Amino acid sequence: MKPLIELENISFSYKDRAVIRSINAAVFQDECVAIVGPNGVGKTTLLRLASGTLTPESGAVRLQQRDLSTYKQREIAQSIAFVPQHVDLPFSFTVEQFIEQGRTPFRGLFDGLKAGDRSVLRRAMDLTDTWTLRSRIFNELSGGERQRVKIALGLAQEPKLLLLDEPMQNLDIGRQFEMLDLLDTLRREGIAIISSMHDLGLIEGTFSSVWLLSQDEPMRQGSPEEMLQPELLEDIFNCPPRHRPRLMERTLNRMEYAL
Amino acid sequence: MVSEVSDANTTHDANQHGWQRWLPTMLAVALVFTMLAAACVGAVRVPLSLLLKSLLGGAPLTDDQRIILLSIRLPRIIAAAIVGSALSVSGLLFQGLFRNPLADPYVIGSSGGAVLGASIGVFLLPSISIAGFGATTMFAFIGAVTSILLVYWLAHVDGHTPVVGLLLAGFAVSTMLSYSSYFLEVMDHDFGTGMKVLSSWLHGSIAQPTWPQLLIVFILLCAGLLGSFPLARHLNTLALGEEYATNLGLSVQQIRIAVIVIGSILTAAAVALGGLISFAGLIVPHILRMILGPDHHRLLPSTALAGALFLLIADTIARTIIAPSELPVGVLTAFIGGPFFLYLLRKTKQGVMS
Repeated sequence: MKPLIELENISFSYKDRAVIRSINAAVFQDECVAIVGPNGVGKTTLLRLASGTLTPESGAVRLQQRDLSTYKQREIAQSIAFVPQHVDLPFSFTVEQFIEQGRTPFRGLFDGLKAGDRSVLRRAMDLTDTWTLRSRIFNELSGGERQRVKIALGLAQEPKLLLLDEPMQNLDIGRQFEMLDLLDTLRREGIAIISSMHDLGLIEGTFSSVWLLSQDEPMRQGSPEEMLQPELLEDIFNCPPRHRPRLMERTLNRMEYAL
Repeated sequence: MVSEVSDANTTHDANQHGWQRWLPTMLAVALVFTMLAAACVGAVRVPLSLLLKSLLGGAPLTDDQRIILLSIRLPRIIAAAIVGSALSVSGLLFQGLFRNPLADPYVIGSSGGAVLGASIGVFLLPSISIAGFGATTMFAFIGAVTSILLVYWLAHVDGHTPVVGLLLAGFAVSTMLSYSSYFLEVMDHDFGTGMKVLSSWLHGSIAQPTWPQLLIVFILLCAGLLGSFPLARHLNTLALGEEYATNLGLSVQQIRIAVIVIGSILTAAAVALGGLISFAGLIVPHILRMILGPDHHRLLPSTALAGALFLLIADTIARTIIAPSELPVGVLTAFIGGPFFLYLLRKTKQGVMS
C-alpha cells in the first residue's frame, strides 16, 4: 500500500525563526494521526504545510506520489479538507449556507448546486449530526455545534485526508467524547485524519499514531503507547518539577478513563 | 435558482419564505410604478391618467408636456435609477470583498477617486460630446480603481481588513481626493470655462443627462451586473476568510481583481451621472441582508432593483421638496445614511478594534 501523503524532509521558518526542521513522515489511508507538542512548536504550521496553504522552504509534500506544488489549489481541495481552529464570519450565514461552501472545489463558474452535491451535503450533515442545525445562524452556535459544522464543511469536500486544527478546543467532556466518536466514524469511512491535539488524555483509543513535536529535538513518531510516556512528555512539555507528579498522574488517569 | 427534484432538495429553500422569492418581482413592479409617478411630479404637473393613456398610444400630449417628459424628466428618472442601482451593487460587491458591511463606494474612497478621475477627464476633454463623456467615464473608472487599490493596500493586513483600518484609510483617501477635485473646480472657475459639472459632482446631484449619455452608462450598468452574477457566489466563499477560501480551491486573487474592476465600473457609471452620492451603497444592501440573509447570489437582483428604487425616490424628493430650486440628492442620502452608518458602526463595535 502506498502512502496518501508524504512529508519528505520538509523545513519551514517564519522570518528567521525556524519552526519545522527536516520532518519526514507519511500517512496512509487508514490512519488517524495526532500531532502533539507544546504551544508555538509548529503544529498548525505543519497542518498548513500538509494542506498546501504554506509551501515548505526545502523538501517536498507529496499527495498520492505527486508533489503538492504541481497540483492546482482546486485539485488539492478535492482531496484535502482543512478544518481551521477559528472561523470569523462577517455576515450571518446559516449553517446550511456555510456547509454548502464545501462544494466549492467541484462547482463550475456558473453551476448551481446539483442533486449530486445535495446528497453529499446531506450525508456530511448526517455524519456530523448537523442536519437539525441547518437553518440556524452559524455565528450563534455553541462551541461544540460550531466544531461539528466546520467538520461537516470539510466532509462536503469528500476528502481523502481531513486536517483538523485543535478540534477539541472549547468542548466540554461530553462533546469531546462525541467528537472522538465522530473521528472513529470518519476513519471507518476511509478518511485519513491528521489532527493537532492539546488534550493528551483523548488520544489513545482513537488515534493510531502520534507525532511528537518538540522545540529543539527532531520530531518523534510512533503509536500512542510509545509516545505518551510520562518521562518523554515531561521533557518535551518542560513541566515544572513541583507539578510533575500531580499533572502526569491526572493525565494518565484520564487516559485510562478514555480507554 | 433552478433546482432538480430530489430528496435533499426540499430542505434547501426551506429557510427562504415564499414571499422572499418574489421580492425581485415585487421590487421591479414597484420600480415601474415609481418611475411613472415620478414622471408626473415637478414644476409642471402631468396627470397620471394622461401619462398612462399616452403611453398606451392614445391621448395626445401637448408639446410642452412632451418636451418636459422626454427631454427633462424621463432622462432624470432613468439616471437616478441607474445611479442607485450601480451604487448599491458596487456597495454589495465591496462589502463582500472587504468582508465588512461598512464598505461603501463613498466610504472607502472609490467614489472620490472616480470624481477626481472624472474631473481630470472634464479638464482635458469637453464632456458635452459623446466621446468626451465616454472618456470622462473612463477617467472615472481609472480613478475608482486606483483609489480602491490604495485603500485596500493600506487597510489590508495579513489577510484581514480590520474595520478601523478600512475606515481610516477610506477617510484619508477620500478626503484627499475630494479636495483635489475642489482644487480642479477652483481652477475651472478661474479659467472661466463656465462648466458647473465639477461642483455638481462634488455635491452629489444628478445632472440633466442626454439620451446618448444615458445609453453609455446603461451599458456600463448592464456589463457590471452581468459580471457580478458569477462573482456573487464566490463572495460567499470569500466570506469565510482568505485562507479558508483558498483551501476550498478559490482563486482569491482573481476574484479580488474581478470584484475591484466590476465594482469600479459600477462606481464610475454612478459618478459620471450623479457625482459623490454618499451611503446609498451601504443602506440598500444592509436592509436587504436583514430580509434575505447574507447570500450574495440571492441578494444581487434585489439589490440592483431596490437600489434603483431607493435613489429614484430620494431624487424625486430632492428635486421637488424645495421647488422651484433643487436639493442635491447627495445631501438627502447623507441625512439618511449618516445616522444609519453610525448605527452600523455601533453594531459592529466589538469588531472595530480587531
